Amino acid sequence: MKKLALAGLLAVGLTACSSEEPQVLNLYNWSEYMPQQVLERFTDETGIRVVYTTYDSNEAMYARLKLLDDSAAYDLAVPSTYYVSKMRQEDLLMPIDRSKIEGFDKLDPELVNLGIDPENQYSIPYLWGTTGLAVDTADVGGEVTAWEDLWDKRFAGRVMLTNDMREVFHMGLRVLGYSGNSTDPDEIRQAYEKLSELMPSVRTFNSDAPRMPYLEGETDVGMIWNGEAVMAREVMPKLQYVYPDEGVIAWMDSFVIPKNAENPEAAHKFINFVLQPEISALISEDIGYATPNLAARDLLDKSVSNNRASYPNATDMINAEFQQDIGDDALQVYAKYWEKLKSGQ
Amino acid sequence: MRMASGLQQPFRNAVLILVWSWLLLLVLVPNLLVIAASVMTRDAGSFLSLPLTLDAYRQLLNPLYLEVFLQSLYMAVMTTLVCLLIGYPFAWSLSLMGPRARILLIFLLIVPFWTNSLVRTYALKLILATNGLLNQGLMNLGLINEPLRLLYTEGAVIIGLVYLLLPFMILPLYSVFEDLRKELLMASHDLGAGPLATFVHVIIPLTLPGILAGVMLVLLPAMGLFFVPDILGGSRNLLVGNVIKNQFLDARNWPFGAAASIFLTLAMAFLMFAHRLSKRRIGEEGA
Repeated sequence: MKKLALAGLLAVGLTACSSEEPQVLNLYNWSEYMPQQVLERFTDETGIRVVYTTYDSNEAMYARLKLLDDSAAYDLAVPSTYYVSKMRQEDLLMPIDRSKIEGFDKLDPELVNLGIDPENQYSIPYLWGTTGLAVDTADVGGEVTAWEDLWDKRFAGRVMLTNDMREVFHMGLRVLGYSGNSTDPDEIRQAYEKLSELMPSVRTFNSDAPRMPYLEGETDVGMIWNGEAVMAREVMPKLQYVYPDEGVIAWMDSFVIPKNAENPEAAHKFINFVLQPEISALISEDIGYATPNLAARDLLDKSVSNNRASYPNATDMINAEFQQDIGDDALQVYAKYWEKLKSGQ
Repeated sequence: MRMASGLQQPFRNAVLILVWSWLLLLVLVPNLLVIAASVMTRDAGSFLSLPLTLDAYRQLLNPLYLEVFLQSLYMAVMTTLVCLLIGYPFAWSLSLMGPRARILLIFLLIVPFWTNSLVRTYALKLILATNGLLNQGLMNLGLINEPLRLLYTEGAVIIGLVYLLLPFMILPLYSVFEDLRKELLMASHDLGAGPLATFVHVIIPLTLPGILAGVMLVLLPAMGLFFVPDILGGSRNLLVGNVIKNQFLDARNWPFGAAASIFLTLAMAFLMFAHRLSKRRIGEEGA
């Protein structure tokens, strides 16, 4: 027993020592959503090491954060709009100390103080983007201009959808002329029926790196995030990003600090670091999504700021709809049909 | 032994305590938690809540899940058959080789385990893709004109599962082949049996325990390796493991996810029970 106690003491001693090690920021983010360069520069400037952990869906991120709530596994996460409001309402987030944040006033006024987080007490916009159509013009003849075109039989086995329940249903609902944020069970059921007609054509779902099935030559047409399309075009110029007639799906991802974060200080520093116009511009140029930072937009290379895939013009955004929080009841209805859809019923 | 036991007593106790606390903490408690979760009510805010209910098990009866289970079983059975067809001759020839070649081959069989299976599955993706290594190789050789559609199909999932699970088929088979005594084969030959008769009546029955052990080690994990269909599978190639993972991470229906994993555990227990029964029968026949 004495020896056991000794071992215990030793363990305590070891953990005590570890607090003197360099600081660590545990960043929980979408995969390929932050250039390595930025992380390295942050570490060089502040001495804080960044541990980058990834997720491929808001649902997975939420479940992990909620589950690890008490163990303070993450200091910073990047949920999409509707999850910001969900997590804020469930008291999972720590208020952001605006006195430690510089450059908030340079953010696009249209992208702050939204319904998801009025006053932006808990979230700071990181990037925004759209989910639209990808068309491999090398293999697809004829025009593809609308979501509806995916239902064309000539694309059998060549269609890819994102592995994202809300996005796929958003498309289904828009094709039927409903809002992509519908909470009406009947409309959701109709969207499910419409989508199940598409399923035989669907080769795969991917939200890990949605550009990959196009680059691998496995799929020719389907859904893609605009930044992924920009990245894909660097190696595959024939891949086009199309704003569908029914309206593109728009979203924004924001930094939030989980309530029990171990190192909120580092999280604030990181947000601050990213908000610098130069860094925001670098991120947008590197991964192809649009920065909400107006000061950064002026610094962008012309080839980036004129790229309609990253920075849509007004006509591109006709019919576009921002994703919103739809509440748990509607989410359950979506989840039920999503499962049916994916198991091929 | 008795003389030494006085000295070894504390050591033995320590080992026993370690083993038991290991089993208690990492096997019994988690399983009890899963059982507890499966009889609770889904809760949007805190994952689980009271009252206790059997709803999750009732949900399992939904034909939707029966279909997923059957499809999953089909892919697992195919995987097992392919593993057996490759593993059996492999293990046999392994047992016939000289000690050096044998050690080298077993070493090569185990080396891939040093790399994370997820990474190896991604590597497989690069090989199977339309413009991947396999298709390019076949096209350069002039064997095919059009690239084969391999990735994101049921076939790709089975290839992935076979690749990951083959060693688990070979190793138990190898151990029974190693024990297979040459005298028995010679006796069979002397008594007038041809190669086929010897194979069917002598070799197969003697290696049956290895076959059964290999089948169990492949069939059951094959139903649970959710990341293989996630990476290699098409839009509809689901394993039971995918359903369980989706319930925990995406749909947040923990009771149902827990009930599904208990169902899988019971299926596993049932197979092990059947394995034991058949082993006893083989033992009796042998005697």
